[in-house]
Amino acid sequence: MAEGFKLRICFRKSGRLRFLSHLETGRAWERAARRAGLPYAVSQGFTPRMRIAFGPALPVGTAGEREYLDIVLKRFIPVAEVTEVLRASVVPELGLVTCGYVPPAEGSLASRLTIAVYEVEIEGGSPQQEIERSLNALVGTGRLSVEHKGKHKVFELAKALPKKPEVRSQEGRTIVRMWVRMGEQGSLRPEVFIAAAVGPDRVVSVTRTDLLIEDQQSWRRPL
Amino acid sequence: MSSDLWLQVERLLPHVERPTRYIDHEWGACRRDDAAYRVALMYPDAYEVGMANQALEVLAARLQELEDVATERVFLPWVDMSAAMREAAIPLFTLESYTPVCEVDLFGITLSNELTYSNVLEALDLAGIPLRAVDRDDSHPLVIGGGPSAHNPEPMAPFFDAILIGDGEDAVQEIVASHRASIASGVTREESVHALATIEGVYVPSLYTPGSDGRCMASQPAPDRVRRRILADLDAYPAPVCPVVPYADVVHDRATVEVLRGCSRGCRFCQAGMVYRPVRERSADSIVRDAIAGLACTGYEELSLTSLSTADHSQLEPILRRLVARLEGTGTAISVPSLRMDSFTVPLARLLGNGRKSGLTFAPEAGSQRLRDAINKNITEEEVVTAVHEAFTAGWRRVKLYFMIGLPTETDEDVRAIGALVEKVLHVAREATPKGERGGLRVAVSVATFVPKAHTPFQWDGQTPIDEVRRRQRILRDSVPHRGVELSWHDPSSSLLEAALARGGREMADGIEAAWRVGARFDAWTEQFSLTRWLEAFASVGLDMTAAASTAYVQGEPLPWSHIDSGLAEKFLRLERARADSAITTPDCTFEECTGCGVCTDLGVDISIAEGGRRG
Repeated sequence: MAEGFKLRICFRKSGRLRFLSHLETGRAWERAARRAGLPYAVSQGFTPRMRIAFGPALPVGTAGEREYLDIVLKRFIPVAEVTEVLRASVVPELGLVTCGYVPPAEGSLASRLTIAVYEVEIEGGSPQQEIERSLNALVGTGRLSVEHKGKHKVFELAKALPKKPEVRSQEGRTIVRMWVRMGEQGSLRPEVFIAAAVGPDRVVSVTRTDLLIEDQQSWRRPL
Repeated sequence: MSSDLWLQVERLLPHVERPTRYIDHEWGACRRDDAAYRVALMYPDAYEVGMANQALEVLAARLQELEDVATERVFLPWVDMSAAMREAAIPLFTLESYTPVCEVDLFGITLSNELTYSNVLEALDLAGIPLRAVDRDDSHPLVIGGGPSAHNPEPMAPFFDAILIGDGEDAVQEIVASHRASIASGVTREESVHALATIEGVYVPSLYTPGSDGRCMASQPAPDRVRRRILADLDAYPAPVCPVVPYADVVHDRATVEVLRGCSRGCRFCQAGMVYRPVRERSADSIVRDAIAGLACTGYEELSLTSLSTADHSQLEPILRRLVARLEGTGTAISVPSLRMDSFTVPLARLLGNGRKSGLTFAPEAGSQRLRDAINKNITEEEVVTAVHEAFTAGWRRVKLYFMIGLPTETDEDVRAIGALVEKVLHVAREATPKGERGGLRVAVSVATFVPKAHTPFQWDGQTPIDEVRRRQRILRDSVPHRGVELSWHDPSSSLLEAALARGGREMADGIEAAWRVGARFDAWTEQFSLTRWLEAFASVGLDMTAAASTAYVQGEPLPWSHIDSGLAEKFLRLERARADSAITTPDCTFEECTGCGVCTDLGVDISIAEGGRRG
């Protein structure tokens, strides 16, 4: 990734396109870049491919408000121009949020993005304080063991949830905001945590609202 | 304004496999809510299979040119989704606007192969449309079929109001115009259906009655024989350059440009080679123009130049040279479907190998020269060996070979010859590959069971009985080398169903309906297909499916498709059948003289070779 210009694109995965898989989202963006006529760089070798890399996968059915990809361009194109051509080349539900160049030496999105912010909507019924109490009680136990696809995994909650979840009511809906740390051993799925705290089948929707880079003690957006 | 089922459908999506099949909103999907006339075009299989169909893209593009007409896509929901839809009382819907299919004006269904027939019934039922045309009334859409399998329309005839035989580019517009005129004048459903029978190429089954001898007799205003519709000039319309770009991983996920239609190589088993005559090439300029426009509009990373025999295009090399120059540095692969081994050359290999290399597929079809001559494949072993040598020298490391077993006149010796040929290919491929790269070398061998089809020289032949096919498969398995070869089979039991439905008459419809009633659908999917279910369903309505597949027809007697005029003269087909027995080949009329197949005179068309090109 030495030569070329590394363009970082922030996009959303929203509406009905939240049902796209990570692979489908990636392919859709590759094709959008081709439609936009971006001067993308191509890898060497037997099957040359576009030099494009994506941030952490978002599960089928989960929406994302600020997802990321990096693409290497052979030529510098002003950000305003990139923005214009990309807006015209991708469907609104998968649309561009913002974009900008990052230094070529900048680490990969997959390795740098370690904090994911989620908003989980819980079906109505319980008062906000009650949900808060249930969440705090679970965090207080320190650990959560999870079964996923036949595998057993134990999360240390102090590490997995670097910040206390926040609960708010909004137009009659209860929304929990969570900060989840992503690691090599995988990350805690927010709907699993919520189900463990307040009971099964109560999650209406999950949205990943942000992805952050952890630098020393501070968190920042990758753009 | 029609109903919109999206909110109901959305609730089911978290609980079904591959929800991307049902969400629409792909790049290029086009919605016209205010249209006065609505068409639903269906490929009767799962989304990822149907989205690969080029014919529907062509038809959709032609219909989208019409003012005030909305054309939307329909695919068959997978079994989990259809179960969920039935439970939630959600009918079959179009993708773009989530309109119930029963609310559209015209429901067009492609009959691309016999193994999708049960899916058509499943779709009609899910849509809430009566299965049989005779039970429909003014509240239901016209149900119209078309596509390759329509050349013997009889097994599916009772389920359709009309079936188009042949090219659809002009006919779809005429069908819509006729129906709109009928609606405007307030005539009955029956009258609007009958009006369609006056359009060239349109078969209205209700106007034909099968007689005791099997021949279908026409009544007014239908012609005695329905003459295949043909588009004389493929350059009359551009290729659809902005088709819908799927998110899901579909079967042929790439930009496509049809470079020519028809093939007169004259392989005697090949229905497409018979019923799409004569050869009509598109010009080099329009192919390059549409290919570049298609890639720009879709963003695809692969371009396929499609046709029955792309390497036969008289201008293929200059076309590839121009495309390679235009696409340099974009990481775009250019591919062609199965290639004729005698047209594969070093320059062609180099041009295709530029950019990304996709797989190479060849179809020798038979192992021995005698059998290749009997089926008129017109390929020598030397040509096979040379093509493989050139491909591997040019850098390919994988080649796929198609063969068939159960061909008329086949002996055990012919079957063993497949093994010998594969061994030779493997040897040549290894020799042409540098030592260090031989590990990744692979020869894939795919073996299908021969299915006799209507309008071919083998149309009178019965299919080889399944036990005999299995015996020959065992011979083949023992004769093909194991190392470096991936051997795969088409399940002969689904080929048996294919043969019964390809050769049978209108009585097959009862068997198809009975099989659907006991759960037949997605028969092209191995895990969904059950031969026993089909055999029992046929037996329950007094039909013998095995006999329908394997009983030979007598030359001179009427065939179930005798009222369908594909343009081919019967005496040509008979002569070709006789030459097969003597293993005498017949040359291609685009290279040598006219073979007298009858198509050009009967349909009033000519072979059309691109300007500047020359064959032979």
